[in-house]
Amino acid sequence: MRDWEGLVDGRLAGLVLEPAERAEVIAELAAHLAETCEEWRRQGLPEKEAVRRTLSEVENWQNLRRRIQIARTKENIMTNRVKQFWLPSLVTMLFTMGLLALIQIFGPNPWMVARHERNAWSLVAPVAVIYLPWLLSLPLVGALGAFLSFRSGGSQRAVFSSVVFPVLPYLLFFVVALPVMAIFNEHLAHNIMFGALFVGLFVWVLAPATALLAGGLLAKTFLSRRLDPRRIVSS
Amino acid sequence: MIGAGVKRGTAELAVLSILEDGPLHGYEMARRIEEQTKGALRFTLAALYPMLYRMEQRGWIRGAWETSSSSGRRRRRYRLTPAGKKKLSPLRREWAELFGALRRLTKVSHA
Repeated sequence: MRDWEGLVDGRLAGLVLEPAERAEVIAELAAHLAETCEEWRRQGLPEKEAVRRTLSEVENWQNLRRRIQIARTKENIMTNRVKQFWLPSLVTMLFTMGLLALIQIFGPNPWMVARHERNAWSLVAPVAVIYLPWLLSLPLVGALGAFLSFRSGGSQRAVFSSVVFPVLPYLLFFVVALPVMAIFNEHLAHNIMFGALFVGLFVWVLAPATALLAGGLLAKTFLSRRLDPRRIVSS
Repeated sequence: MIGAGVKRGTAELAVLSILEDGPLHGYEMARRIEEQTKGALRFTLAALYPMLYRMEQRGWIRGAWETSSSSGRRRRRYRLTPAGKKKLSPLRREWAELFGALRRLTKVSHA
């Protein structure tokens, strides 16, 4: 006799409910699959074909998990949005900004590293000792945001939006605040504004967003694979 | 293409209507609906259970575990709640109005 409960349990691995409630859902779906399979067998199908047809009841287990998660969650839609988007976004924001601050406070002083010499190294030092370590740590932060959002049943859009959320303030600054300042503040050096805008966009928006997304994408792929139907069918 | 809202509405009406005759578990429900509509409406597991859980959250149906005397298998049987019964009448009226309007519009009549 096939272990339908084990199969459903494996395929709904990411379903986050109270343990008793989760066990109920798994038992109920497993009973449905068992009865469907028995019906196919009664109609004379060989077991392999009966199992195949039974499993075709669910085309996408990940989607089913998400829909059950949403349907069984007692809180309202607003709370789901908080768990799937706002909370992961704020966590990624906190870690992104916090890490930058920590590296600046506790990391090596770039001017000490450059030893007050006026050479190329004095220009590169802040990038090497502050910016690069920060940038390299961002994939981990992105992965954390993706994990939190995905675990709460977040859609793909919610997952990736919460991952890139920390760069939005920078984007707003460079796209809105800086041009407005350039228009109204006559003390700004207008001849370097365009250069600063593009460098700023690359350094503080594009590169961090890419690093965050790289981590988020890896985490999402890993978590999705854990629930890949083909992988679980073969097990 | 039929929109998600219409599909959801028909599915909920089907479930509430089938439960009006008495409590059923999910598998029985899917089979009865398929039989009574001669295969026009078919609920897969993936379509049925998220909807049942949503309807249960709204208080229209209530599920309770019981053990089958014949197979010994534990199954969750759903029954219509007073709120579900109350929901059924306006839902039927809305769908009757919609189908009536469509019939008049398309001039499709019963065969």
